[in-house]
Amino acid sequence: MNEYLPLISSSINDTIASLRYFQSEATLVLGFLLVILSDLFLSKRFSQLSFGLTIGVVLIVMVQSFAFLNVENMPLFGGMVIMDHLSILFKILFCLVSLLFVLFIRYNRSLLLHEKGTGDLYAILLAVHLGMNLMAISANLLMVFMSLEMVSLGSYLMVGYISRDQKQSEASMKYALFGAVCSAIMLYGISLLYGFTGSLYLNDPTFISGLNTIPPMALGVSLTMVLVGVAFKLSVVPLHFWAPDVYEGAPTPVTAFLSTAPKIAGFALLIKFIVLINALDHAFLDIKLIVASIAIASMVLGNFAAIWQNNIKRMLAYSSIGHTGFMFMALFVAPGQGYNALIFYMFIYVIMNMAAFLIVDEIEEQTGKQNLEDYRGLGRQFTVLMVCFVFVLVSLTGLPPTVGFTAKFLVFSTALDAYNSSGSLIILVMILLAAISTLVSLFYYFKIPLNAYLKESISSDVKIGHTAKAYLSMFMAFLLLLLLVFPSLIQQFL
Amino acid sequence: MLSLLIFLPLIAALFILVLPSRFQQHFKYITLGVSVIQFVLSLFIYLKFNSFAFAAGINKESQYQLLEKLPWIRLNLGNIGNLEIDYFLGIDGLSMPFLILSALVTFVATLASWEIKTKLKAYFSLFLLLNTAVIGVFCALDFFLFYIFYELMLLPLYFLIGIWGGIRREYAAIKFFLYTLFGSVFMLLVIIGLYFSVINPATGNHTFNMILMMDPANYADGSIFSAIAAKNLFGISARLLAFIVLFVAFAIKVPIVPLHTWLPDAHVEAPTPVSIILAGLLLKVGGYGIIRVCYSIFPDSAMLSAWWIGLIGVISIIYGALNALAQTDLKRLIAYSSVSHMGFVLLGIASSTIEGVSGAMLQMISHGGLSAMLFFLVGMIYERVKDREIANFSGLAEIMPQFTAFVIVAFFASLGLPGFSAFMAEAFTLIGAFTSEQVNGLIPRWMSVVASIGILLSATYFLWTLQRMFFGQPRLKGAADWLSKLSDINAREKLALIPLVALALALGIFPSLLFDKMNASVVAFVQLISGS
Repeated sequence: MNEYLPLISSSINDTIASLRYFQSEATLVLGFLLVILSDLFLSKRFSQLSFGLTIGVVLIVMVQSFAFLNVENMPLFGGMVIMDHLSILFKILFCLVSLLFVLFIRYNRSLLLHEKGTGDLYAILLAVHLGMNLMAISANLLMVFMSLEMVSLGSYLMVGYISRDQKQSEASMKYALFGAVCSAIMLYGISLLYGFTGSLYLNDPTFISGLNTIPPMALGVSLTMVLVGVAFKLSVVPLHFWAPDVYEGAPTPVTAFLSTAPKIAGFALLIKFIVLINALDHAFLDIKLIVASIAIASMVLGNFAAIWQNNIKRMLAYSSIGHTGFMFMALFVAPGQGYNALIFYMFIYVIMNMAAFLIVDEIEEQTGKQNLEDYRGLGRQFTVLMVCFVFVLVSLTGLPPTVGFTAKFLVFSTALDAYNSSGSLIILVMILLAAISTLVSLFYYFKIPLNAYLKESISSDVKIGHTAKAYLSMFMAFLLLLLLVFPSLIQQFL
Repeated sequence: MLSLLIFLPLIAALFILVLPSRFQQHFKYITLGVSVIQFVLSLFIYLKFNSFAFAAGINKESQYQLLEKLPWIRLNLGNIGNLEIDYFLGIDGLSMPFLILSALVTFVATLASWEIKTKLKAYFSLFLLLNTAVIGVFCALDFFLFYIFYELMLLPLYFLIGIWGGIRREYAAIKFFLYTLFGSVFMLLVIIGLYFSVINPATGNHTFNMILMMDPANYADGSIFSAIAAKNLFGISARLLAFIVLFVAFAIKVPIVPLHTWLPDAHVEAPTPVSIILAGLLLKVGGYGIIRVCYSIFPDSAMLSAWWIGLIGVISIIYGALNALAQTDLKRLIAYSSVSHMGFVLLGIASSTIEGVSGAMLQMISHGGLSAMLFFLVGMIYERVKDREIANFSGLAEIMPQFTAFVIVAFFASLGLPGFSAFMAEAFTLIGAFTSEQVNGLIPRWMSVVASIGILLSATYFLWTLQRMFFGQPRLKGAADWLSKLSDINAREKLALIPLVALALALGIFPSLLFDKMNASVVAFVQLISGS
């Protein structure tokens, strides 16, 4: 016992020194507590207090994250977490999603009118946000697991927040069950890795050398088990089956949130594992091939399955699986090329995905329509909003004149360059399939304008006024156009 | 100057969008005003255009005219280096004629838009957006910018066909969209591949500059499209594969047989002004792309494929003409005649002789005017009685004499009567194709012989239609009701048709109006592709 005594002071010093870099997380914790307390005691008198607080907290976190934008590889708390430029970019992305999500909740009628109120949802959001921040910076397998669980638990609560009918209860139950199973598998994988190497630090030399000495089969099994937990969050094929049901059943703002933020956090984790896998020197363990097949399967299945969907939220769910596959491709080719294209794509994906769900929700609240064929003639009812929707869909497809094209283009560029320098056939196949699935995605995305403009109207021609949510989505659609001309607005931070 | 030409319609479109709907009767005048300004500007460009050999353009940046170059996107992509995308415009003898054609066809299409009665605000803003995209394509010299304008054409067109079209408009609109996107998605991959192969000698960065892509010296060592490295993809030469991909992308637009099936559907369902734009301009984008992009960047592969391209041209000529013979719908007939006439463009380009390429260029300009005229004339009948089945009309010459006069001019001009532009164009194309065997041995003589049968066939279907619909006893399906509706041509329609007749006659009698301006560029182009 006594031999550890001298270490105490140095580890305390390290912790205190690390706290300076931990401001944004501290803010989130404080904000979480404040929102809970204010919701408990003050929500009667100031109904919008927790909304204001949450917005404030998220904005402060954003500013605090920006302050460390150019930080270089900074290990904190004895190497439990590592902060670098990339993780800060992820943090900023999370702030963007949270900000949009808070506004989304604020203007969603079904959540507002629910007897539970929205106060708890804001608190859950901040907790999930904290979890995602930790995911982006964690460098220790326990930290990874803990942050992942934090995000998962919060997400289960969000999905079941209303549970208005059987479908929604089913969705949240499904999500919690599958999530729990995947977490268990992941934990088992982590314990195996720990057993093999005696270390939990991802960048620890003994961890990597330990992995290099164990039999490839055992390594493959345990690594795959760990990745299952991450893949569940990402909802990639073959762990995608929960996504469509949950996305359809959950309240629309939650769906919008789930299809963006945890995915991005999952990528933040995955990047760490890819770096790890690249550091291993197992020649015949082709885990890269697995990653590539996941990317291909997600792109193909997501986009083709979306064609047959009739419910718009379900269609967007499948399309987000396709987008995840596309981001997987960007990730797969990224080592050596840097992650700029991937991060740029994510920024744009956040904007366009959130905008798409905002508009879908707006239409559902105003008219109760959520099926494709009900959209007939909506172009006359929602004149401006529907035009914005078309731009968002064009951007999701990845066509000019929207920034979705630039994002897709950058990913294709890095992929082709990776092919050029490595000459591996699998990348070329991936690129070609990505091109084909872009074509396929046009087919289902354009069913929406097809119904809204081209089909005969079945609804009245009464124009519907704009709400705050509509203005928000218009602004985002405008952003998609603006960023095409001035991509440097985002690029300067990369 | 070029930016003004490109973005003037966009500004007008935004202006229309913010104007309240009660002014909607004035939107067409705004659009008309824009097209007149464009026409005047492009005439001014034409008159000022420098046609000497030192201003030939093609593969020398300094020789382009009205250059505009601004840095646009600079993204650091890790070890690939900086992404270098410019806002880069310029014209040479091969793009300048299209500016005039664009302005003229837009003018005619705007006059045809008088028949559009619903959702005017959306219609005219999409129409102007389309115009921006088309002119942008003809001016862009940065491949990225080119692609953006190229794709930008799809969206407005999808909605223009889909909302204001005929009964099967949804089908036609999505078919058109998917066909074109199929070509352009793969084109995007080639563009990126080219980007990584080409290095700007001035900055050392990779570049999207199309002109730099034309010089084999700018390709990085061992890069995928480098002519020296001669890499293979899927067992065939990477350069040849890229050429084929680009060719297919543009050939869908032209269109060639067997990738033409979207065209008749799109034309039949589209409203008249959109048909005019489609036939008058968008098909030319395909031809222009083949010349500017496929041939200029991959001349070696182009030489290898010349025989096949010539064959596709000949098949398009004959197959299109035979199909036109079998049509019962007047608009469909004209759509197939477009396929046939655009086949000459391919044949001319494939011959790679100065006569052939000049003929192809003239054919594009001439067909742009004539097809606009033909679709306008069909639109006039359709607008009056909502029917255009050939069998339902007879003896129109007595009912609408002035209209018939214009039809006769348009038909005879299209079938290649000497004195009209199509004759000159087809004659030059055939001369080029015929001499090719001697000059460069690319195209066998029989191709030009077979192609000339196409002219005979086009005479057959045009004259047969003339006889069935316009001559003989007046007999209409709708009897007296139709008779009262079939009023003769009015002043607006004359205003639209007369400039087109003038263009056909002017180019037919003085083809040097065009040849003089583009000769230097054509010579430089043929030198570039034949490598001498």
